[in-house]
Amino acid sequence: MIEFYHVHKQYVKDQFALSDISLSINKGEFVFLTGASGAGKTTLLKLIFKEELPSRGQILIDSININLIPLKLLYQLRRSIGIVFQDFKLLDKRTVYENVAIPLVVKGTRKVLIDKMVTNALSLVGLIHRRNYIPSHISGGEQQRVAIARAIVGNPKIIIADEPTGNLDTELSIEVFKTFERINANGITVLIATHDNHLMEQFPKRVVKLEKGRLLSDGKIERM
Amino acid sequence: MNLLKTTIINAVKNILRNKLISFLSFGIIAFTLLIFGIFNYITYSLEVFTDGFSKNIKAIFYFKEDAKQAEVELLVNKLKEGLLVENVIFTSKNQAETDFSRQFPELEYILSEFKESPFPSSIEVEFKHEGYTLDTKILAFVKDIEKLHIVESKQVNIDWARKIIAFKKFISVVGVFLSLILIFVSVFIIFNVIKINIFYRKEEINVLKLVGATDWYIKFPFVLEGAFLGFFGSLMAGGLLFVTVKLFPIYSAFMFNIVKGMIDFKTIPGSLFIKLIVLGTAIGLFSSYFSAKQFLKN
Repeated sequence: MIEFYHVHKQYVKDQFALSDISLSINKGEFVFLTGASGAGKTTLLKLIFKEELPSRGQILIDSININLIPLKLLYQLRRSIGIVFQDFKLLDKRTVYENVAIPLVVKGTRKVLIDKMVTNALSLVGLIHRRNYIPSHISGGEQQRVAIARAIVGNPKIIIADEPTGNLDTELSIEVFKTFERINANGITVLIATHDNHLMEQFPKRVVKLEKGRLLSDGKIERM
Repeated sequence: MNLLKTTIINAVKNILRNKLISFLSFGIIAFTLLIFGIFNYITYSLEVFTDGFSKNIKAIFYFKEDAKQAEVELLVNKLKEGLLVENVIFTSKNQAETDFSRQFPELEYILSEFKESPFPSSIEVEFKHEGYTLDTKILAFVKDIEKLHIVESKQVNIDWARKIIAFKKFISVVGVFLSLILIFVSVFIIFNVIKINIFYRKEEINVLKLVGATDWYIKFPFVLEGAFLGFFGSLMAGGLLFVTVKLFPIYSAFMFNIVKGMIDFKTIPGSLFIKLIVLGTAIGLFSSYFSAKQFLKN
């Protein structure tokens, strides 16, 4: 599903954000991407939805080399990926409902269907009662869950989440991870960047660890 | 349908969000098109005027005192056979005196001081109007007649028509030049209005891109916004032109009564309104399209 072949990413000369990354994530897999701050987690995620381009190497999604996707057709790749951004990227002039509906609106989905899908997504993250609020009027944790709802609303093939529990307390974080587990149970590939070891220990999944842009380890951790 | 509705709503929201700058660009377009419309309208009015004038080209040849009746008659008959000539009317000295008395009865006392008519006999030649009425053929013809020894002087209204046509051309050139400058200003303003809106909505655009919006989905509200500004600007210009044209005869009646009589300032051709709307919308559409294209590249 997601394949990295000797991928390098360099922002500044002689400094690699990512160096010679090769990995493969299968369809329906649940993977944690971990590492200290600056390890290259966010960069790796950005390469998948082509917000950044690799300096070297190839990235394949569903066997398609995304380097070769022209800008005009990039939307097709992005419609197949649900993204939860580290900074949420919620639009403050729109309500929670409208924010979650964006991926469906841009696809031209019918209003009746949008209503149904947004309601489902908001129910899944427990925010149906906040549908008419604007993001700045809800808590950080709730904002994060709105971002998750927006990522899952369009039934993407892949969910990418960058530190999705960064602003949540442990209890809520576990809830969010359980939500991702439920999504994953439907066959959706989930890739979560986190540095929360405690949480990862509670969810025995494959863990890809980065250090200074290099792949340090790749394997499953056991529940504690 | 849902997508189109959202796009139109977004475009209107953009306009309302930046009221001042939108109003400025709207005003500039309206002003530009008003100037364009005024020059077009003047050109159109002069055209109608000169068209009527050119269909009525006449030359009057005045004969010398010693011109013999037989010579004049021979000339009249020859002229009537001419290809350019529609009609020839001979006016005798006495007829000219009678005409004068009828037209200016208050000046009749002057004539009483003369023993015989002080006016020369003359012929009025009406030319055919088959497209060549302003052609050099008429001028050559007039020159030939003027050379005859029985002809004292001539009067041709062709010179007037030529002057008006030259004036019309001048107005057209000035109009085109001014319009081009103002169109450039409008394009520049709308281009920058859209650019500001794009920067203002940069974050939103980024999110839309990341969740899979097509380029056109993002661009279209901006292009539509430009088209709206152009369209409504042109409607405003049309309205102002209508008011200007309605008011001008009242002003000209005080200032130059003669102009009012010569040109019909009341009718604005429908094609001019259509021209204004098409031009305004096109200015808005293209300048916003290029702005969106340039600033949404990355």
